Amino acid sequence: MTYLKRKVVLFVITLWAAITLNFALPRLMPGSPVDAALAKLASTGIPVTNAQRQAIEVQLGVPNTGLLSQYGSYLKNIATLNFGTSYSFPSETVAQTIGKALPWTLLLVGVSTICAFIIGTLLGVYAGWRRGRSADSVVTLGSTLFGAFPPFWLGLLMLYVLAFKFTLFPLKGGYAPGATPNLSPEFFADAVSHSVLPGVTLVIVALSGWVFGMRNNMINTLGEDFVTFAEANGLRTRTVALLYAARNALLPNVTAFGLSLGGIIGGSVLVEGVFSYPGLGNLLYVAVNNHDFPLMQALFLVITLSMLVMIFIVDLLYVRLDPRIRQ
Amino acid sequence: MRARSYRKSAVVCTVAMLTAVGASSCAGTGSGTAAGGSTGSGATTLTIQGDAGNPALVENFNPMQPSSAMHGVNLIYEPLEIVSPIDGTFTPFLASGYKFTDSKTLVFTIRQGVKWSDGKPFAASDVVFTFNLLKKFPALDGNGVWQHMSAISASGNDVTITFKTPNVPFAGVIAQTPMLPEHVWSSVADPVKFTNTKPIGTGPYTLGTFAPTQYALKKNPGYWQADKIVPSQVLFPAQASNQNTNQLDVSSGKFDWAYNFLPNVKTTYVARDPQHNIYWFPPGGTIGLYLNLTKAPYNDVNFRTGISLSLNRPTIANKAVNGYLGEASMSGLILPNLNKWLDPSLSDQGLVKQDAAAATAAFAKAGFTKQGGKLVGKDGKQASMSIVMPNNFSDWVAAATEVTNELKAIGINATTDLPQYAQYSTQIQSGSFNAAMGGFGGTGSPYTDFNNALNSSFAAPVGTATANNFERFKSPAVDKSLSQLASATDPAAQQAATSQLQQAMFTQTPVVLLYYGGSWGLFSTKAFTGWPSAADPYTLPANYNNSLLTVLTHLKKS
Repeated sequence: MTYLKRKVVLFVITLWAAITLNFALPRLMPGSPVDAALAKLASTGIPVTNAQRQAIEVQLGVPNTGLLSQYGSYLKNIATLNFGTSYSFPSETVAQTIGKALPWTLLLVGVSTICAFIIGTLLGVYAGWRRGRSADSVVTLGSTLFGAFPPFWLGLLMLYVLAFKFTLFPLKGGYAPGATPNLSPEFFADAVSHSVLPGVTLVIVALSGWVFGMRNNMINTLGEDFVTFAEANGLRTRTVALLYAARNALLPNVTAFGLSLGGIIGGSVLVEGVFSYPGLGNLLYVAVNNHDFPLMQALFLVITLSMLVMIFIVDLLYVRLDPRIRQ
Repeated sequence: MRARSYRKSAVVCTVAMLTAVGASSCAGTGSGTAAGGSTGSGATTLTIQGDAGNPALVENFNPMQPSSAMHGVNLIYEPLEIVSPIDGTFTPFLASGYKFTDSKTLVFTIRQGVKWSDGKPFAASDVVFTFNLLKKFPALDGNGVWQHMSAISASGNDVTITFKTPNVPFAGVIAQTPMLPEHVWSSVADPVKFTNTKPIGTGPYTLGTFAPTQYALKKNPGYWQADKIVPSQVLFPAQASNQNTNQLDVSSGKFDWAYNFLPNVKTTYVARDPQHNIYWFPPGGTIGLYLNLTKAPYNDVNFRTGISLSLNRPTIANKAVNGYLGEASMSGLILPNLNKWLDPSLSDQGLVKQDAAAATAAFAKAGFTKQGGKLVGKDGKQASMSIVMPNNFSDWVAAATEVTNELKAIGINATTDLPQYAQYSTQIQSGSFNAAMGGFGGTGSPYTDFNNALNSSFAAPVGTATANNFERFKSPAVDKSLSQLASATDPAAQQAATSQLQQAMFTQTPVVLLYYGGSWGLFSTKAFTGWPSAADPYTLPANYNNSLLTVLTHLKKS
C-alpha cells in the first residue's frame, strides 16, 4: 500500500502547488481590471476622464491590499468555496456563474469526447487490422487531414457552410434567443440542434489522436505470439481482432481517455468561442478579457482540480489494471 | 461588445467567405418579426442587434452605470435634452427648453404632463434629486458634472444650475444626464451597486421580458409623445463574443438595425436584400498621429508640418477603413458633420495634400536635410519615430503601417510598436512615447473636442498621468480661445473662437490628423423607415447610447 500512500501525498502537494500558482498567475498579467474596463470605454473613441477612472475603481472595488493578505484570504475563501463576486457578472456570485455554465460544457464536451474516443478507437482497430492496405491509408490520411485543422477554423467553416449558407443549424448560442433553460422536450430539442455543429467540430478534431494511438498499439499487439496462436487456432477474424488484439491494445488509450475526461471541464475555449456556446470555455475567454480575477481563479481552480482528480483516479485504476504496480 | 464605436472590429477572417456570398440569391430571413416576437395582430417588433452576451446577458438597467447597463436602458430613461453627436444641436426631451441667464447660470424649463411609467408625475424635484444623487455618490458621476457645477435648485417648473466657472458647452453633458424618479431611488440603499431590474422611467419603453440571451422592451402607453413611437416591441438579442459570428448574423438579415463593421458591405449586406438593406457609415471621430511635444524634434512646429505634408491621407484612409471614410481635415472638425462651424478662410476645408517639396522646405527649417536617402538633423543623426498603438485596433495598425512606409520613403526611421491596450494607455497617459495613434474629438461639440485635445491644464508633466491632451500641447493663445468659447453665449462669438481654434490646429499641427473613423449603421427598411442617413443626418447610427432614443422617435412604419 506504499504506492497508494505515495500517490495521496503527491496529490496533496500538486494540489497546493496548483492552488498557489492559480493565485499568482492572474496577478502576473499586465494591466488591471480597471484598465480593461477603461479600454472598452476608450475604444468608443471618447476620451476617458479621471472622473470615469475613479468611478470605475469604486464600482469594481479593486483590491489594493498587500499580496500576502490577499493570499491569506484567498486560501480561506477556497476552503469555504467562496470565490466572491466577479467583475463581469456583478449581480451573482462566481459559484453561480460557473454553476450555470458547467452543465453546458459537461454535456457538449463530455459527449463529444466519448464519441471521439469510441469512433476513433474503432477506426484505429480497423486501420490496424488492415494495416498497409487501402482502408488503412484512407483512415490514417483522413484523420491526419482533419486533425491538422485548427478547431476554430473548422468551426468557422462549418458555421459558414451549414449555418449561414444552408441555414440547417443556428448560428450561435446554446439555445434560441429569449428562451429560458428548462427541462421540457422542446427546449431539449432546441439545445441539441444548437450543439450539433460545435459537437461535430470537437469530434472531428479529436478523432485523429485516438485513431493513431489505437492503430499503432494494434500493430504492436498483432505481432505478439498469442495473436498468431489465436489465428492458428482458426478463430474468426473478428474475434481475433476485437477480443484478442484490440482488448490488449486498448490499455494505453484508456489511460489517455481518463486524462482527456479531466480536460473536459476546461472545455474548449476556441470552439465554444466560435459558436458562442454558453459554457466554461467561453466564460474563461470573457474572464481573461475583462481581467476578472475572481472568475478566472475560480475557473482555473475548477479546471486544475478536475484534472488532478482524474489523474489520481487513473493512478488508482492502474493498481487494478496492471498487476506489476501492486508489488 | 460595447468596445466598438468607430474603430473596426479586429478579426475579419470571413472577408473572403462573405464576399463569395454576393451572388447567391438567398434573401435574408424575416427581420421585423424575428424570433420570439409574436405579440398579437397589429403589433410591430423592431429587432436591434443587442448587447454582447458573454456568454449570457446580466440584467442591469441602472442608467448611471453606462459600462454595465443594457443598451435598452436608453429607451427607458430620458435625459433633459439630447445633443446630436453629429453637429451638437439640442433636441428637447424632459426639458422643454433651456437658457443661460449669464455664462455661469443655466436654467432648464421642465416639460409638463410627463409621467413615470408607474403613473406618478415627473417634476422638477426629480431633476434636483438626480443631480444631488450624483453629488452624494461620485462613483455614479462618470461625466464629472459636479466638477463643473456648484449648485442646483428648483422653483416651479424651472431648474437652475450654477457653474463654478463659465462653461456654456458643458450644458450638453448636463442636459444628457438620464433622469431618475425620486420616489423610487430615494429608498435605494446603494445606487452604485444597484442593478435596477424593475426600471421605472419616463421613456417610450418599459422592460418586458429578460432572458440571458435576449431581452424585450414593450411600448409605454403613457409616454408623453406616444404618437411618435411606432414599434410596439423592441427586441435586443445578445451578440456573440466572436466577431465572425456577429458578421454572419448581420449578413443573414436577423436585424432591423445593426451596428457592425462589415468588409465589402455592398456584397456582404446590401446584395443580400437589395430592396430593403441599406447602410450609412458617417464619420464618428477622427484618428490622428499624436507626437510627443515635450521631445525634440517633435516640439518643433516645422518638423510636425513636414510630417503632415509628407503623408498621403487618402491612401491611409483607404488602408484603414476600406474606403468607407475619407481623409481628415486638419481644422480639427469632423466634416461634413460640423460644416457649419468650419472657418471659411481655411484653404480647401483644411485638407492637407501630400507635397514633397513643401515638406522638404519645412524639414529644412527644422534643421533636417536629406543625405543619402536619410533625413538627418543638425547633430548628424537620422530622424526616427516609433508609433505606439494597441495591437488589436486593426484599423489603427493598418493606418500606422502605411504612415511608417510613407515616412521611411522620405528618410525617417519610422517603426510601429504594438503593445496591449493597457500598456498603450499607460504610455500615452504618462507621456512616455514618441508618437502614438489616438482618437480625436467625436463628441459633436467643437469646444469639447478642442478642449480635450489642446487645453494646457491637461498637459501634465511627463510621468504624471493625464486623461486628455496626451501630446502635451501648451499655448496661452489657444487657452484664451477655449475660455472665450466656454463663456460665449451668442453664436457670432462662438464662431469667432471656434475659428481661432481651427487656425491653431491647422498652423501648429499639435496632432497630425489622418482619417475619420466610422459609425457602422446597417438598416433594413422591410418593417420600418426613417433611419438616419446622409440625406437626413439627425444622429449617428449607434445603437448603444442615447441615439437609440433619437432614432426611435423618427421611425415610421414602411
